[in-house]
Amino acid sequence: MTESFLYLIQQLINGLTIGSTYALIAIGYTMVYGIIGMINFAHGEIYMIGSYVTFIVIAGLLGMGLVSLPIILIVALIVAVIIASTYGWTVERVAYRPLRGSNRLIPLISAIGMSIFLQNYVVLAQGSRDVALPPQITGGWTFGDPSVFEVSFSYMQALIWIATFATMSALTLFISRSRMGRACRACSEDLGMTNLLGIDTNRTIALTFIIGAALAAVAGLLLGLYYGVVNPFIGFIAGLKAFTAAVLGGIGSIPGAVLGGLILGVTEALTSAYFPSEYKDVVSFGLLVLILLFRPSGLLGKPEVEKV
Amino acid sequence: MNRITKTLLTFGSAVCLAGAISAAQAETLKIGLAGPATGPVAQYGDMQKIGVMAAIEDINKAGGINGMQLEGVIYDDACDPKQAVAVANKIVNDGIQHVVGHLCSSSTEPASDIYDEEGVLMITAASTSPSITEKGYQLIFRTIGLDSLQGTLAAQHILNNAKPQRIAIIHDKQQYGEGLATTVKSVLEGSNVNAVMFEGVTAGDKDFSALIAKLKKNNVDFVYYGGYHPELGLILRQSREKGFGAQFMGPEGIVNSDLAKIAGQAVEGVLATAPKSFDQNPVNQARVDAIKAKGEDPTGPFVFTAYAAVELMKNAIEKTGDTDPEALAEHIRSNPLDTAIGKVSYDEKGDLTESTFQVYTLHTDGSKSPVK
Repeated sequence: MTESFLYLIQQLINGLTIGSTYALIAIGYTMVYGIIGMINFAHGEIYMIGSYVTFIVIAGLLGMGLVSLPIILIVALIVAVIIASTYGWTVERVAYRPLRGSNRLIPLISAIGMSIFLQNYVVLAQGSRDVALPPQITGGWTFGDPSVFEVSFSYMQALIWIATFATMSALTLFISRSRMGRACRACSEDLGMTNLLGIDTNRTIALTFIIGAALAAVAGLLLGLYYGVVNPFIGFIAGLKAFTAAVLGGIGSIPGAVLGGLILGVTEALTSAYFPSEYKDVVSFGLLVLILLFRPSGLLGKPEVEKV
Repeated sequence: MNRITKTLLTFGSAVCLAGAISAAQAETLKIGLAGPATGPVAQYGDMQKIGVMAAIEDINKAGGINGMQLEGVIYDDACDPKQAVAVANKIVNDGIQHVVGHLCSSSTEPASDIYDEEGVLMITAASTSPSITEKGYQLIFRTIGLDSLQGTLAAQHILNNAKPQRIAIIHDKQQYGEGLATTVKSVLEGSNVNAVMFEGVTAGDKDFSALIAKLKKNNVDFVYYGGYHPELGLILRQSREKGFGAQFMGPEGIVNSDLAKIAGQAVEGVLATAPKSFDQNPVNQARVDAIKAKGEDPTGPFVFTAYAAVELMKNAIEKTGDTDPEALAEHIRSNPLDTAIGKVSYDEKGDLTESTFQVYTLHTDGSKSPVK
């Protein structure tokens, strides 16, 4: 295997890892949009809160003398998902439900307000400095000749891939098979009609926010462990990237969000790999513009049909 | 509103007024302290605050300046250029004429424009970007060497001591980091040493795996990083995880204990240029003890540069018998002074004539030791 081939493999591994986490956050955007046609700008903040909760739980458990890593991770995951879901539900109750039926721009502004509020709330509660956690999951596989180029694939990266894949599969099953999932799909088809047919749309919308927040918490846990650093401002950039991924794949479409996340991650890694890395965002967002020029509703999005 | 509440309110506002009058009567000179008190680089703001407050305390204990007591007033710019402009305007509106700050070069630059125009004396203890003093300001000084000096020192260390085979220069695309990186690059090129990579990363990014793979592919054995500790910390941490073991070097923007918190073991042996450790200087022993007695850390790179900034103001006020910023600036420019950071003398632009930097090796426990 030549050096350039191994290098390409390494960058693809890096790109798919970043892409997986973009995808997890992007699903939250795309689900909310799919059902109520609005962008939840506070979603990035939920991811940030998920990361913080993970850090607090892990540090707390380590402080209590617990050493078993799987137990620590499972407890951290459960607590992060519960707390982040509560925040997701609260955002819906406070910033969306009272405004349902009003002009579309109004909930958008209230969501931006919510995002600023949550960010500053964490700054006040936790301080604005970087909080760091020592690496918990270390080691990995390496392959390729060390004298040529050694490709590394860490256990942490593997965990991110597996967790993303498992979460996506569970969500797809939930949406396609369960009663609640069917209600979600019905709401995204036609909210008013679903309501008339006796389905509690308020509950379904709240559930959508909760699912989105839970996925953001999973991403918060994974990325928190992967990078080992969290501060109150990480939600903004992550949210922006995930939103881009959702639009790229076709907002409203769950497979689209996954595809968009992976494409964005791989594009970023490959741009950094073969061009000066300062062009990373230029190329990624240039790609977004190009795709939207030729497919205005994204890669897997349905063309917008004006309802009469 | 009932009568009792009204009476209470009247009484309350009368007390407030009385307080304001008594404050105005006491002879105090307010010194504005502008820098990040919040935000990702707030610890540098703390260093500046520790130094300025220690100096003010020492001066007040010794009877103040010509009988005037000093008071430090803290303004938070969060190291954000937009907020720095707002802070500068607020300082001008509050009638404060003497400022120590700002801290980040990108904040200091827009703020100094306002101070110079509005007649406020500003001494920055931390901003090293050359462009700040290049506009011909009269009232702007610094107690720290320039980026260009720090970059030159780093480049000389690379050429004479480290002598690496393949150098990469990475920066965070911000004024401070890119300025330093460019200086290092041009000094190296002057000695016919070319960097194999010269690239920017985005401040605030968390994932550097693509960059590290690229460094690895290019067989880089020495990385100079122009920027601050949050990004370098992650680069070091991820390099270690990916088995990339080059020597790293950075400017004083990476020198603080948070770097070790983020990067852990990977910090050991990283090189950095930083202002000389003034807390090790026997001249400052009493000051160091006083700061430690308050439970604060005297070892930060900006503690004594900030201390010296207050000393400069105090000396100039004493000698001229005036608090007018223009008279003080004139005095500071033409009269060298022995301060906590050694002899301070200025050129026409308001820059120090002597370098205050030294190369250090950083350690995992957050300490640093000078490289001979």
